[in-house]
Amino acid sequence: MSATPLLELRGIDKSFGPVQVLRDVALSAYPGEVTALVGDNGAGKSTLVKCISGIYPTDAGEFVFDGRPVSINSPRDAAELGIEVVYQDLALCDNLDIVQNMFLGREKRNGIMLDEPTMEQMAAETLAGLSVRTVKSLRQHVSSLSGGQRQTVAIAKAVLWNSKLVILDEPTAALGVAQTAQVLELVRRLADNGLAVVLISHNMNDVFAVSDRIAALYLGQMVAQVRTTDITHAQVVELITAGRSGGLGLAAETGANGNGAASADRTTTEGAS
Amino acid sequence: MRAGPSQDEIRRQNLGALLRYVHVHGATSRAELTNTLGLNRSTIGALTADLAAAGLVTEGAPKETGRAGRPSLVVRPESARVFAYACSIEVDRLRAARVGLGGAVLDRRTLDRPRGLTAAEVAPLLAGAVKEMQHGLPADAVCVGAGVAVCGMVRRDDGLVRLGPTTGWVDEPIGTALGIELGVDVPVLVGNVAEVAAFAEHARGAAAGCDNVIYLYGDVGVGAGIIAGGRRLTGHGGYSGEVGHMVVVPDGARCECGNRGCWETEIGEHGLLRAAGRSDARGRDAVLEVFDAADHGDARAQTAVRQAGDWLGFGVANLVNIFNPEMVIFGGTMRDLYLAAAAQIRSRLNCNGLPACLEHVRLRTPKLGEDAPLIGAAELAFERLLADPLDIG
Repeated sequence: MSATPLLELRGIDKSFGPVQVLRDVALSAYPGEVTALVGDNGAGKSTLVKCISGIYPTDAGEFVFDGRPVSINSPRDAAELGIEVVYQDLALCDNLDIVQNMFLGREKRNGIMLDEPTMEQMAAETLAGLSVRTVKSLRQHVSSLSGGQRQTVAIAKAVLWNSKLVILDEPTAALGVAQTAQVLELVRRLADNGLAVVLISHNMNDVFAVSDRIAALYLGQMVAQVRTTDITHAQVVELITAGRSGGLGLAAETGANGNGAASADRTTTEGAS
Repeated sequence: MRAGPSQDEIRRQNLGALLRYVHVHGATSRAELTNTLGLNRSTIGALTADLAAAGLVTEGAPKETGRAGRPSLVVRPESARVFAYACSIEVDRLRAARVGLGGAVLDRRTLDRPRGLTAAEVAPLLAGAVKEMQHGLPADAVCVGAGVAVCGMVRRDDGLVRLGPTTGWVDEPIGTALGIELGVDVPVLVGNVAEVAAFAEHARGAAAGCDNVIYLYGDVGVGAGIIAGGRRLTGHGGYSGEVGHMVVVPDGARCECGNRGCWETEIGEHGLLRAAGRSDARGRDAVLEVFDAADHGDARAQTAVRQAGDWLGFGVANLVNIFNPEMVIFGGTMRDLYLAAAAQIRSRLNCNGLPACLEHVRLRTPKLGEDAPLIGAAELAFERLLADPLDIG
């Protein structure tokens, strides 16, 4: 609900060799809001996230975080700013328990010993702060958890570090109905607690259920960033598949080059089918 | 002309405000109370002492603050000692709970409810559950009242259920019946389930801090609890919020209220099951199976969910245009429908809602989950205590 974005990207370019994956991409994420990042396979969503989290260097463009320009050159830089990413594979260790997973690589120490009581308390407080009631014991191995519970642990792990921006890559993929519902409510609660959340999803229901803004990528270009109150399901699908919808997205005459004509052709065929 | 409030009235109001604050926000330091209530330090001290003497709060040393200076004492509600009984009469089950001051559910019982039981039959079952919970109560425990949430239209004055289409009740005096069965010296307050759930979410849930809220609660039927300008909208007799009976399809499907084409015939249990080709099935589990089937690719179930979502969106758009709420909460089966068909609901709402009304509306699911009716029913009982804390206990 805030007027200034927590994270603002401008003019991001990224190429892998001759292939340009991101072209002049802009993205804003606001505190207290869920920004849904949508796009077809290969549109550049994952690449964009990896640029934000410092895994890929960008070729051009600027990052503004909390009102000041920053450069993110490594995952450590991103973590220091308070950016956490929950990837699709969750990156949890099956043979460790919930607390050990949440503090993996960043364990609290008391002298040379691990400070287990503090870690357990912090983990419990984080889960309670997210109103998570489904996890019975913090000391059970992650291998014994259901898909939804794993997702919950991975999200709690991201929240634990006083993070300001949490990016979630397809958090409901491969979950059943009941668990999807729980994870969606958790995503919403993160934002309601004041965090900026970026949600990557293919599922339009998930997007419309929790997001405040929708950012649509099409072939490496950010074709629209709109409030969820100003757009319909059909329009989002058009933006994803054709790059434009009515007055939104790419202009009809993108230019005289072959690319523009090709995308215009594709629009008409999509519309007819 | 009426004179200003007397000293007594002011004191009563301040006591109520302080108790309400710790009831809703939990343990609070005296310093914070001084700031938020806008009273001076010695007044807060005196009020706290009065409430502590009445056994409603305790004062204690705070946890280590890590800051210099003498830490301010922390005021805590006597959650374990001061409590209310809360009952919820649902279509398929009966629930009874003991809810402590501060809103924590201390104890609970759940019973199956064969559809079609009358108030006279339900009351002993609930009373039995309540009596079970009475065993092992601390000797100094104080019950401040009992609240009941029921699916149906409730007369505000005496808790008579005028019409509960989904429970088959007509003029059932559940409040009186339960009062007699319980044999306790406290009033039994009755409210519609959507209304009390809205009350709970407004006090300590998703809608905390929002003054204009619509809570849609769905089971077989659909009702709304409406908070307008920070107050519960009850209507003249207490029957408001029957949004499920807005007629949306002239000559549509027959509704349990006797009309045709009510909104709940399209978005309620029967509508969804009918559209999914499962007219024989009943109950919440059957509804959840439709969502499951839709998720697994059953085309008919998917169409049913999409259609119901479309209809839900139409109705929500109307409600948003009429009430201009800042939040709409989807509870009961409406939660599942919202999460499964949000794309349809949002799209309809965005098309049919007036731009000015849509500007700040947030769509949410309940934070208190299934406990909302119980916590809300208890809030009904606590309201009396908060209005005049020293009168009870």
